[in-house]
Amino acid sequence: MVSRATSEQGGAALMAEFDEELGRLTVKVVYYGPAQSGKTTNLMQLHDLAGPELKGEIMTLETQNDRTLFFDLLPVGLRAPSGLLVKLRLFTVPGQVAHDGTRKAILSRADAVVFVADSRRNQTTNNAESFDNLAANAARVGLDFATLPLVIQFNKRDLPDIDSEAVIREQWREAPWPLTFASAIGGEGVRETFAALLGQLYPALDAQFALDAQHGLSAEAFVAGLCDGDVALRAGG
Amino acid sequence: MKGVDRSFTLEELLGGNTRASLQPRIESLVGGATALTGSGGEPLWGRIPDGASFRVPIQLELEPIGHLVSDVPDMPRLRAAAALLGFLLRQRAQYLMASDLHIETVQADYEALLAKHAELEESERRLRELSSQLEQRVEAQVALLDERQRQLYEAERLASVGQLAAGIAHEINNPIGFIRSNLGTSRKYVGQLRAVRDALQGGSAETLERAREIDVDFILDDFDDLLRDCLDGADRIARIVRDLKGFSNVDGAAEESLDLGENLSVVCDMLAGQLPPGVALHRRLAPLPTLRCRSGHLNQVFFNVLRNAMQAVGEHGTISVAASAEEGGVCIEIVDDGCGIAKEHLGRVFDPFYTTRAVGEGTGLGLTVARDIVQSHRGRIDIASKPGSGTRVKISLPAEAA
Ligand SMILES: Nc1nc2c(ncn2[C@@H]2O[C@H](COP(=O)(O)OP(=O)(O)OP(=O)(O)O)[C@@H](O)[C@H]2O)c(=O)[nH]1
Ligand SMILES: Nc1ncnc2c1ncn2[C@@H]1O[C@H](COP(=O)(O)OP(=O)(O)OP(=O)(O)O)[C@@H](O)[C@H]1O
Ligand SMILES: [Mg+2]
Ligand SMILES: [Mg+2]
Repeated sequence: MVSRATSEQGGAALMAEFDEELGRLTVKVVYYGPAQSGKTTNLMQLHDLAGPELKGEIMTLETQNDRTLFFDLLPVGLRAPSGLLVKLRLFTVPGQVAHDGTRKAILSRADAVVFVADSRRNQTTNNAESFDNLAANAARVGLDFATLPLVIQFNKRDLPDIDSEAVIREQWREAPWPLTFASAIGGEGVRETFAALLGQLYPALDAQFALDAQHGLSAEAFVAGLCDGDVALRAGG
Repeated sequence: MKGVDRSFTLEELLGGNTRASLQPRIESLVGGATALTGSGGEPLWGRIPDGASFRVPIQLELEPIGHLVSDVPDMPRLRAAAALLGFLLRQRAQYLMASDLHIETVQADYEALLAKHAELEESERRLRELSSQLEQRVEAQVALLDERQRQLYEAERLASVGQLAAGIAHEINNPIGFIRSNLGTSRKYVGQLRAVRDALQGGSAETLERAREIDVDFILDDFDDLLRDCLDGADRIARIVRDLKGFSNVDGAAEESLDLGENLSVVCDMLAGQLPPGVALHRRLAPLPTLRCRSGHLNQVFFNVLRNAMQAVGEHGTISVAASAEEGGVCIEIVDDGCGIAKEHLGRVFDPFYTTRAVGEGTGLGLTVARDIVQSHRGRIDIASKPGSGTRVKISLPAEAA
């Protein structure tokens, strides 16, 4: 039996799919952002890092000179002490402006979003436009942007002509979302970004599916299991 | 669910044909008979061997989507074959997800296009509506303008009635003036005659002496003359008033039998008072048979044509009005030696609102109305002109008028 979270269940209902029969909870995470900001690179690095307890093969669909045409998909997961399989499907969208239809279709039913920005100063406009596009598409596919778990990653910190972290934090002072800094090409900050996202995601999932109470899956175990495959943390359960 | 969110079964990913061609290849890789089972354990190909058999999961994402089972005790080969199958299945799943996505976005594009098309049609429809409204508005505006023109014409007519009234006032004032002065003198004569009577009835020598100085013969003669002049004047006024009634009888459009010569003289009388000193008006009015017609209307015809003639001669010239009986009716000619009409304008003078006069000085309806009236009497009006030498307007009316 598949139960789908609906908005009647209160405020920030997630789209996550809970299949009682199979003992599986499927969660959708989308890496969003302007073209060439490093979304695909983030996913590749997550795949290559020691990473999560359960990890599938990465699917990267047809690219045209390295650019995502449809999406990339990396499935990762962990098994809760109750035996529940928590499966996260990590998607990237194509960043190029022209593929807005695809972007919108992939964003639909998302439970959480990582926004990958390009730190270079000359990319400020692209970042802003893409962020507006995220908000607009979220509204179009019926996501509540105000409560959507979201992390903003400033990527390509290794490149020159970028603002300092302090300046960026100052600029985004008013924003409610966690900011992370990364150089995805070298793998730095990729795991931290993902961990920050899991931190945002857990409370919503727990509220809806009683992860802690019914499945013995704490926030720490959730983050650790998906980032580090740290079995030890959950050993007691 | 569709698109990237859908989940697949092994059966969906491996169609019957694919399975049939895959099985022998996988089996030759493994080195013996195999069975492929779905997530529920149901066999998709082969027969699950009894007893101890080797079983390897086939991975799509995280969980096994099925198993490869064999009796051949070679796990590395079996795993490699399962991995190969997994790889194939992922390719297939990717393809299916991408094509769903493609269909979805194309559909969305198509719907957006449809919506845009609908919008376009809507705005086109509004445009059409607007333009048809525009036509209506233009028509209404034109109707309004026509209405205004007619009002202008009415105003013009009133103005010429005003002009006439001024002429008439002049005509009437003249006799009233001398009637009044005659009566004044008459009163003085009455006083003198009374003095003579008093003296004759036995007055003093002094009064007698004064009475003898009064020239009673002269007084009586002059008194007589004065009273005759007064009667003449009163008759003149009475005639003018009668004429005026006839002239203004445009709306009481009943037909009457009348002598058009009289109408012509009335109109000529009216206009005569307004002619500049340098303009002569000749009349040659032969006796005419009586016609049944609408007097007020025909007066207006004569007035319009005569006024054009007056405007054509300006300060100096001659206008002649002739009326004669002709075969089956009457003929009236009004001729002037004024400016004349250029050939290219001659064809248009009867057109409504055609005028060469300065703005506000003519409505261009004078001849139009004249022709309408003449035609309603089954008559005809013709105009001949030569620029510089003058114009002749001929009006023929049949005796048996409508
Ligand atoms: N210097 C530097 N280059 C990076 C970094 N991250 C990614 N890149 C490079 O940026 C380019 C684009 O990276 P992708 O990961 O394909 O970007 P994307 O966001 O998936 O792009 P689209 O699929 O077109 O939306 C590649 O050449 C990467 O090698 C980084 O941290 N530093
Ligand atoms: N006797 C004439 N001599 C020269 N031109 C004339 C004569 N009668 C008419 N016309 C020309 O024909 C035109 C039309 O005459 P019509 O009487 O219809 O209009 P109008 O005199 O211009 O204006 P209104 O409505 O005040 O009479 C005149 O403007 C004038 O140019
Ligand atoms: Mg990409
Ligand atoms: Mg006229």
